[in-house]
Amino acid sequence: MKRQEAIEDQALDWLIRRNGEGWTEDEQAELDLWLEESMAHKAAFWRADHLWQQADRIGSLGIDTHAEPEEAKSQRKWWPAAIAASIVAAVGIGGMSLGPRFFEQPAIERQQARFDTPVGGRRIVPLTDGSKVELNTQTVMRAVVNETKREVWLDSGEAFFEVAHREGEPFVVHAGRQTITVLGTKFSVRRDKDRVTVNVLEGRVRVEDGAGTMAHAALITAGDTAISRGASTLIAAKSEERVESALAWRDGMLSFDQAPLTEVVAEFNRYNRMQLVVTDPATGRIPIGGSFQASGVESFTRLLRDAYGLKIERDDTSVKISSQ
Amino acid sequence: MIDDDDLNAWFVREVLPLERALSSYIRRNWRVPEDVLELRQDIYENVLIGARRTRPANTRAYVYTVARNHLINNAKRARIVPIEAIADLDSVNQDIDFAMFEAERTLTARDELRRAKEGIDKLPPKCREVILLQKVDGLTDREAAESLGVSIETVRRQIKLGMKALFDHMAGGTGRIVRKNYRRRSDHEVLP
Repeated sequence: MKRQEAIEDQALDWLIRRNGEGWTEDEQAELDLWLEESMAHKAAFWRADHLWQQADRIGSLGIDTHAEPEEAKSQRKWWPAAIAASIVAAVGIGGMSLGPRFFEQPAIERQQARFDTPVGGRRIVPLTDGSKVELNTQTVMRAVVNETKREVWLDSGEAFFEVAHREGEPFVVHAGRQTITVLGTKFSVRRDKDRVTVNVLEGRVRVEDGAGTMAHAALITAGDTAISRGASTLIAAKSEERVESALAWRDGMLSFDQAPLTEVVAEFNRYNRMQLVVTDPATGRIPIGGSFQASGVESFTRLLRDAYGLKIERDDTSVKISSQ
Repeated sequence: MIDDDDLNAWFVREVLPLERALSSYIRRNWRVPEDVLELRQDIYENVLIGARRTRPANTRAYVYTVARNHLINNAKRARIVPIEAIADLDSVNQDIDFAMFEAERTLTARDELRRAKEGIDKLPPKCREVILLQKVDGLTDREAAESLGVSIETVRRQIKLGMKALFDHMAGGTGRIVRKNYRRRSDHEVLP
């Protein structure tokens, strides 16, 4: 175990003992002595003590100790309610189209806000409903959020959504043919031409192929990835690590687990003006693992040269990678 | 010299609320994700050592500077980060990094309560039950052990697991309970 990890461990043991019954003055003296040994001991113990005290306030929420977590309950109830809500919404809009109110609709539509990022850019957009959207490199998004509607169009690029929960009021993301519907959860959506990838970090998400009526709806949960191309959707279930690496960009990183070099290069090219080019297929198949800074083209190509003995040639706009 | 009670109070009031921003800063600038806990606690240690003499006027700027210096020193010592990464730390990213650090909103009391609640709901059932018995029903660990019909050691083990995951979640992490055994990337990293 590493130094600080071991200290944290000891700090928690002390805290649990001190909070338990029969804590004596001698023990307190022992603890004081331990704390005096190092500032690292104090840092770990004070942090744990404070956070544990903060957690006391959940006592005020009146949780039933023996009931299931709310998350599990709400997830179960949730889908029928959401479907009911979407039917109500559809009927509602249908009804409006007959009445004069229909003509007021475009006025609301016009309150659309547009957000974008340049190559290598990253930006956090807070929405008025309390949700937060984090835009990755080269992304264009439009949003309409008001009392009655929460709708977002991802025109290109990639975004991570942290959706605030609003009972009975779904948050909808349109990405090409696909429609993603949620109530309150965390997930990312990425568009590459006709391919749409959805990674779910928390909660549940419904991915629908928008073309048909209720056709091809898939429910995916935390740790799942859905990749849609046209009308076909592939779901990679229960791969939390995969979802985590797919979200590494939020820390400015790219993370790969033995991905072929061509794929790695394509990722780097999304973030940088300096474009990497692999000249022969054999080189493109070299597996690459590890995390890299998305903006670190220089250090990445240097690694390829030194670790894999690849030949690197630069000009003003691109870097050619080949085996010698 | 500031006494321990004051130092402790300052630490929990002004430094700990920055943990989310601090962890995210470390992750952005350090290539080995499993080092984040170590680096964060090292930084806290240095923050406290420095603050014991005089309380800094601007805590954010102070914590950021300590963090940055620590990463640079560590990178030089460990020699695992390519030269460019250190250069970035020195100049290019500094403004952006500090801006992101500054902009990170500290959580309100309501946010904190919500995060604690979410963190608890994410715990595995046994762990959650033990923690709720303590926090909601106000049982001691011995009483919790009796009511569940298990040993006090079992209860304490569950509390410890729960604390780790809960603290991680409260400070903006994933709150996952098991620490995965990654192979340390630095062990097989190739020096440029």
